[in-house]
Amino acid sequence: MKKYIYALYISLAVAQSALAQPTPPKGMVYVPAGAFIMGSHYGDPDERPQQMAMTNAFFIDKYEVSNAEYAQFDPEFKFPAGKENNAAIVTWHQATAYAKWAKKRLPTEKEWEKAARGTDGRVFPWGNYYDESFVVWDQKTSRGGSIAKPESPYGCFDMAGSVWEWTADWYKPYPDNDTPMEQYGETYKVMRGGSNFNDQALTRTSHRYYLHPEKISRYNVGFRCVKDVE
Amino acid sequence: MLLRALLLLFMFFYLTGGTDSWGQKVNKFPKKTDPLHVKVELFDQLMRGNHWNEGAIMQHVIFPPAGLERPIVGSQADCLDPTSEMLAAYSHKYALTKDPKDRDIANQIFEAVLKLEKVTGVPGLVARSFNQTDEPLWHEEVLWYHEWHKSTSLSGYRWLGDLSSDKFTSICYGIGTFWELCADDDYKLKAAGLLDRFMGRVIDDNFKLTDLDGKMTMWGNFCPDLPHQPLNSLKMLMGLKVAHRLTGKERYNAAYHMLIDRYHYDDEQLKAKMLFPAEWRNVGDDYHAARSLYMLMRYEKDRNLLNKYRMSLNRHWEDWKTIDFDWESNIWFIMVYGVLTGEDIWTEERKKAIKDMWGFERQTREFKIPMKGGGTKTVKSEEEGTAAAMIRNYWFGRYYGLIDPKW
Repeated sequence: MKKYIYALYISLAVAQSALAQPTPPKGMVYVPAGAFIMGSHYGDPDERPQQMAMTNAFFIDKYEVSNAEYAQFDPEFKFPAGKENNAAIVTWHQATAYAKWAKKRLPTEKEWEKAARGTDGRVFPWGNYYDESFVVWDQKTSRGGSIAKPESPYGCFDMAGSVWEWTADWYKPYPDNDTPMEQYGETYKVMRGGSNFNDQALTRTSHRYYLHPEKISRYNVGFRCVKDVE
Repeated sequence: MLLRALLLLFMFFYLTGGTDSWGQKVNKFPKKTDPLHVKVELFDQLMRGNHWNEGAIMQHVIFPPAGLERPIVGSQADCLDPTSEMLAAYSHKYALTKDPKDRDIANQIFEAVLKLEKVTGVPGLVARSFNQTDEPLWHEEVLWYHEWHKSTSLSGYRWLGDLSSDKFTSICYGIGTFWELCADDDYKLKAAGLLDRFMGRVIDDNFKLTDLDGKMTMWGNFCPDLPHQPLNSLKMLMGLKVAHRLTGKERYNAAYHMLIDRYHYDDEQLKAKMLFPAEWRNVGDDYHAARSLYMLMRYEKDRNLLNKYRMSLNRHWEDWKTIDFDWESNIWFIMVYGVLTGEDIWTEERKKAIKDMWGFERQTREFKIPMKGGGTKTVKSEEEGTAAAMIRNYWFGRYYGLIDPKW
């Protein structure tokens, strides 16, 4: 009898949690508010110290913004034929303008990292092990087109590999990080997620890289958007 | 009076760059029907005439008007590949000819690798490439990731950072071959010193290539604490083996065995060649594997480890034995396999592939040059690729008796 009561209790709790979870807008997933493990103790000096960080609840795009989607905002945007469903490569200001047009915004670093790794501090969105079949090869494969098609804990695709992704934040040290970096400040924006053209360790969920918001040179950098939960 | 006027005119053009006084462009190309040794000689002249950047070898040269007479403009991210190939070529050549001129050329190329370290101002930090210029050049923005820096240690130089594991392989292979076959006692010391600083820095950074900013470079991951490619395990074992051979320092032998005993790099390297799915096979990666196995298998004496390296070579051979000779390094894979195994794999088709080796064609195309005020200007110019691998293949083959001098 006791076990039926427990089962009923758990079912009600799950149902209540599901009911409490707002329905995400089309193409987005829900990330609940709360704490998560951010940073690492084994990566680059700028990923340290590993810390507990907090976010509010938010929605985030399931996929990176595609060429076709970006072209709806900017009809002048040029991309190779047949690559409609591949991630768009844009400057930070272009990404920000798109997000505003779509009534969304770019994710903060915290939001991006939480959406990618969940709360348990995992190395990659799917866990702690890497395999080529888990990621799309740079911009050559369309979004979500990896062989294994792994999702992040909240249901996002391509948060490791594919193109780098812009965040809203300037490249600054984490609290209590005392490693001197002349690049810290308000010159560079942080990009995340790595590009599979580069080393696989750069696709770790905690890896940070900095790039000038306008001069993207040959970096393959795209973006996905977030939206606040009303 | 006329003579003075002519002299002034010459000085004017020289100082304003309007003259073709740097115009030492070598233009003589071989014919496809020329014997192999003639083709190699002419491509060697083209490479040393047009691609020579103070001893470093340019992988790609854009001629004026899009390029410059000096410094040379072109893609520079992979310059350490042709530089190490030419260093190995002249080392093999010197080992055959014992001609001091060949050794002198090898020494100059090695000095350029030293300069790639000096220009960064950090002992053991080696640049991908450098240019003697005070001002940024247009190609820095567009031909590769913008990782160019103004040198603080060599006035009037700029250098390209973000060294990769592929260039790590070039450094260890090129310097190791130079030390082995060509360097005199002074240069042996210099070569060992450079590799000691370079590898020492990598070990200090937990088997990562780090840049000026202290972050791991985009392709600099050999770290046992980070997920990395099996090919990089092979490259690192090779680097440590070569460093130990050149310096005699126990530190490198200890690091080599630590990576094997504690982190199983000897097992990881077995998967350096991705065979399946077939479309993921990468001949570019095979080149780094071939150089690594070539150095490692000749230096390693442990039977068990040699067996594992041979397994890795066999996995590569599975692909190489039917490979198309559409890239000048492909035929070198076959040579390396033959040298390392002693097997007679020299079919008529493979011999023909060696005899048919070729460097590059000079082409003309348009370049979009960024303007200072924004926008781009389209300029049509000639450009050249590299023949360094072909030249290295030739002298490698001659050294090992795979190539008949009469070919």
